[in-house]
Amino acid sequence: MNLSYVIASTLHVYIAPGGVLKIAGLTITNAILYGWICTIAIIVFLILVARRVTVKPKGGIIQLVEAGVDFIINTVEGAFEDKSAGRKYVPFFVTIFFFILLNNELELLPIVGSSITANHNPLFRPMTADLNATFAMAAITMVYVYVSSVKASGGIKKYLRHFFVGSPKNPLFFIIGLLEMITDSTRVISLSLRLFLNVTIGEILIAVFAYLGHFIAPVTALPFTLIEVFIDALQAYIFTILGTMYLAIAVNMAKDHGQEHLTEGEDLETMSQSIGDKRKPVKQFKVVNKVRRATS
Amino acid sequence: MTFVEAAISTSIIGKGLMIGGGFIGPGIGIGLIGGNYLQAVGRNPEASKFLGQALIFVAIVELFGLLAFASIFIVK
Repeated sequence: MNLSYVIASTLHVYIAPGGVLKIAGLTITNAILYGWICTIAIIVFLILVARRVTVKPKGGIIQLVEAGVDFIINTVEGAFEDKSAGRKYVPFFVTIFFFILLNNELELLPIVGSSITANHNPLFRPMTADLNATFAMAAITMVYVYVSSVKASGGIKKYLRHFFVGSPKNPLFFIIGLLEMITDSTRVISLSLRLFLNVTIGEILIAVFAYLGHFIAPVTALPFTLIEVFIDALQAYIFTILGTMYLAIAVNMAKDHGQEHLTEGEDLETMSQSIGDKRKPVKQFKVVNKVRRATS
Repeated sequence: MTFVEAAISTSIIGKGLMIGGGFIGPGIGIGLIGGNYLQAVGRNPEASKFLGQALIFVAIVELFGLLAFASIFIVK
C-alpha cells in the first residue's frame, strides 16, 4: 500500500473500490476520485513541460519526460514494418502509457490507501486497482485497434479474411478461423485483468507483509514497495506494447496480403505500381524466378 | 466426526492448494522464458535487444498466477 504501514496494526485488504461521498444521489468511489486528480495532474504537468521543450535539452524533469516519450514513439513505430505508417498511431499509445504510469506510481504515496479514511473506506485508491477502470481502458484500446485495423486493411471483409489461413469455404479453415475470432475477443478481458490484478495484488502484498512485520513493518514491506515501483512501470509498458502489437499484426498483415499475389508471377508492371515502390518488388520477383528455375 | 470437522478447515486447505497449484505453472513458464532468453543471449549477444519481448511473455504467463491468487478471495 504505502508508508502508512508504519502505523498498521490491523490488516486492511480492499479488493473492490468503495464509495466515499455522494453528489446528487451519485456515489463517487475512491478510485474515480483518484483518477480525476491524476487526470488533472497529468494535463497540467504535461502542458507545463510541453511549453518548456527546447531544441537543446535543458536537463531535469523535462529531459526525463522527453526520453519517455521518445522511447514509446520508438517502440510503437518499431512494431510496424513501415515506420511512417506507424506514426499516426503514436499519440493514442503515448497518452495511454503516461496515464497508466502516473496512476500506478502515485499508488505508493503515503496518502493513498488506508491511512486516510472517509465513510469507512480509504479516501484514495489507485484507479488501476479498479476493474471497471481497467476494463474501460482495455475496451477503448481494443475499439481503437479494431477501427484502425479495419481502416488499414480497407474494409471489414478484407479484415475478416485475415483470420482464415486458406479458403473460408473449406470447413476446417472455417472452424479454425472462427476459433481465431473467439480468441481475439478475449483480448479485452486479458488486458484489463492483467493490469487490475498486478496493481491490486501488489497493494495486498505490501499490506500483508506490513501486517506480518508488525513493529518492524518498514523492514518487511520495503522490498515489496521497491518491487512495486518496477512492476508498475512494467505494466504500463506492457499494456501499451500489447495494444501496439495487436494493431501492428493487423496492419502488417494488410500489407502482406497486398504483396501476396506478387509471387504468383502475373504482370510485373501493374504489381510494382500497386505497391508503389518500383525497385524492391522487381528484385523479389527475380529471386522467386531463380528459385523456381533451381527447383524445376 | 464432529471433532475432525472442528479441527480441519477445508476452505483453508482449498486456498492453500489453489495458491500452490496455481503458481507452479507460471513459475515453470517464467523460468523457461528467462532461461531460454539467457541461452539465446549467450549464443548470440545481439539477441539482448529482445528483452522487451521476453518481458511481454512474462506478463502473459504471470496473469494465470495472479488469477489463482485473486480467486482465494472468492473461496469462503
